[in-house]
Amino acid sequence: MKEKITIPIGPQHPLLKEPISLRIDASGEEVLGGTLRLGYVHRGIEKLAESRTYTQNIPLIERICGICSHVHTTTFCYAVEALLGIEIPPRAQYIRALLCELERIHSHLLWLGVLAKHVGLETVFMHSWHDRELVLDIMEELSGGRVSHGINQIGGVRFDVDAEHHPMMADKMQKLHERITQFMQIFEREPSIKARTHGVAPLSADLIRQYGLAGPVARASGVDVDMRRDDPLPPYDRLDISVITHPDGDAWSRTYVRIYEIYESLLLCEKILQAIPEGNISVRARRKVPAGEVVVRSEAPRGEVVYYLRSNGTEYPARLKIRTPTLPALAIMPMQLAQIHVADIPVVLAGVDLCIACADR
Amino acid sequence: MFEVLFYLLIFPGFLFLYLCSWLFEFLDRKLLARFQRRIGPPWYQPLADLIKLFSKEDLMPQGANEVVAIALPIVSLCAVLTAGIYVPVAGFSPESFEGDLIIVLFLLSIPTLAYYLAGVTSVGIYSLLGGARSLLQFFSYEVPLLIALSGPAVLAGSWSIQEIIARQSETGAFLLFQPLGFLLAMIGLIGKLKRDPLDIPKAKSEVVAGSLTEFTGVKLGFWHLVMNIQAVVGIFLIINLYIGWTSAGNPLLNISIFLIQWLAMILLLSTASAVFARLRIDQLAGLGWKILVPLSLLQLTVVILMGV
Amino acid sequence: MANKLMPEDFLRCVSAHTQQPCELTGHIINETAITIAADDLHDIVAALMEELNLTHLSAITAQQREDHPDEIQVMYHFWQGGGYTLIVWLPAAEPVLTSLMDIIIGADFYEREVAEMYGITITNREETPPLLLPDDWDEGPPMRRKEKSV
Repeated sequence: MKEKITIPIGPQHPLLKEPISLRIDASGEEVLGGTLRLGYVHRGIEKLAESRTYTQNIPLIERICGICSHVHTTTFCYAVEALLGIEIPPRAQYIRALLCELERIHSHLLWLGVLAKHVGLETVFMHSWHDRELVLDIMEELSGGRVSHGINQIGGVRFDVDAEHHPMMADKMQKLHERITQFMQIFEREPSIKARTHGVAPLSADLIRQYGLAGPVARASGVDVDMRRDDPLPPYDRLDISVITHPDGDAWSRTYVRIYEIYESLLLCEKILQAIPEGNISVRARRKVPAGEVVVRSEAPRGEVVYYLRSNGTEYPARLKIRTPTLPALAIMPMQLAQIHVADIPVVLAGVDLCIACADR
Repeated sequence: MFEVLFYLLIFPGFLFLYLCSWLFEFLDRKLLARFQRRIGPPWYQPLADLIKLFSKEDLMPQGANEVVAIALPIVSLCAVLTAGIYVPVAGFSPESFEGDLIIVLFLLSIPTLAYYLAGVTSVGIYSLLGGARSLLQFFSYEVPLLIALSGPAVLAGSWSIQEIIARQSETGAFLLFQPLGFLLAMIGLIGKLKRDPLDIPKAKSEVVAGSLTEFTGVKLGFWHLVMNIQAVVGIFLIINLYIGWTSAGNPLLNISIFLIQWLAMILLLSTASAVFARLRIDQLAGLGWKILVPLSLLQLTVVILMGV
Repeated sequence: MANKLMPEDFLRCVSAHTQQPCELTGHIINETAITIAADDLHDIVAALMEELNLTHLSAITAQQREDHPDEIQVMYHFWQGGGYTLIVWLPAAEPVLTSLMDIIIGADFYEREVAEMYGITITNREETPPLLLPDDWDEGPPMRRKEKSV
């Protein structure tokens, strides 16, 4: 069976959570390459944002992506606040960071389950999504929504971390601590997962730099970059962040980096809860934003998110440009698809951790 | 005449095998669910699934051969049911003769071949890939399985399953003499049944559903029956060859003991399903030929020397 | 972790490779921005990559500003410890850009998006289908529409 066949993956396929069209050329069980087609979930968010006020834009931006919704609104709010020239109270900064880290844990646990399911280990899928419920419970207690929080507003946050929340959060985080330590041990020692991910689709650090990737995929190839440490939004400049890297660059490294990042984020959440100062949670913000331009970057669970915002003195933004981390990750995917087996396609797709809704906007 | 019909249709024929396959599917899914912290389906789920499948619209893509597509599951079903007649249940089988072990092994291979042909018949890229993989997998696990299942025959000095059982009641379960063979037979059975970790031909994330992607309705219902009955017969076979049977006198006690052995095997299979990730086909081929075949040959040599 | 680039080095490198006078325009908060001519873009980017190791291209933003109605502004956002932007102005009637794909492969998707959203022609690269718009889109560049959506 050495003739060339084209395997269509998408727009609908059991592998994909969101629609994307991949046409993979294979000969037998060897993959020769693939082409990509995006745009199935393109909603024109950038154009839509121009006809909504800044406050109305926050729910719109939250819905760019389900899993990294808070990071998007946080970056947007910081951009608007920079144009307004206001600084939000420290307590609000810490609450925003707390939710960012909780979201990172949630996103990586979800990713862990998806990878395990693709590799055929459904048990880990079920267990990791069960533990993900702990994080979702915390987020629901804090903001009322499991995935879509609506906690940001221009000038601060809308809900506070009360004294009643602390024991609940401590209890759940303790449980998460144990479970995640268990996951780390499983992945270190489980031979079948190692067999499926070791040496699969390696990416060199040079290739990562040429494509301008950041985030867990870059860190898994040894590129030491993390927006929380290198270009920090407050309060990350006051927190001590340890960046996890791994030199190999194959699917196993990407697994390793993400699992250890869950653990680091959990420690960071605890640090944030200890360091959170008293005070207000928001300041008053004018509706009309003075003319100006700003670029803000932040670290989403998948990499670097860049927001460019221009205002022209009215209540409506003049131009909002969003660049999400999945876009360069998709650009690099055809490189990864050459010289792997057909059976490795799920592993590659999971390693990239696609969020197509982010990429299409 | 009436006796023959009873054996064919009731016990140990169609009705008995169907009830066993129902129990097998239910237990398998329930155990797997419990391992995964889920609740799992209720006891009537397998029957409900079958009724649902039989009531669905029966479609095939253009270019697929309808006649072959319906013939394949029916032929497979006949093959496994026939194999089921010759595999003793609780020490009882309606007919046994010298060489029936070989007939059973042959009949149990027919569904695998039919699975491959089903993939080729239904026009579609996932079916073709699934079919090709099932054939590749067949070459990797079948040889160790056959050698492992021949070990008890060599030790007993006979190719009749009843004889092998009789020998075990004299000398003790063959499991004690050839534990390696038992392990290899289990691995081979997992490969034959296309269960996790060897469900490569129907890996949902790679080939959607393998050969059976385009099958719906009655045809798919038959395929499910084939898969489950094949599992039941395969487990019965391994129990007979490796654990043997000593009659405990009371027929109810007989059936209960057999059932308990059967349940233990299902537990083993479900645990293996829950714990391992799926292998890649090239890893399976490597495992099969570099590790399983030499080990099975080693076991066979030991058995031959033991018998001498 | 790369060292943060000093704005003076950025300005010096850019000025060295162009005829026009350059200065740091401070109007973008958080970014060090310089306006350059469209023709010099490719050389300047190549020089920045070689001399200053500025390889991380974050995004390419295009916009049509109401205070410059006949022009399209394209911004190339780089990053190395801080943000560095190159601003290019193109005539709105016939916007043409040279592709950077031969020196930065990652510019591929950004250029395609900017091309289809604003109708910019990018030379020196192969034809590719639209990135985000459907294959049969014939209503013109969406981001240049004047009417606001609901």
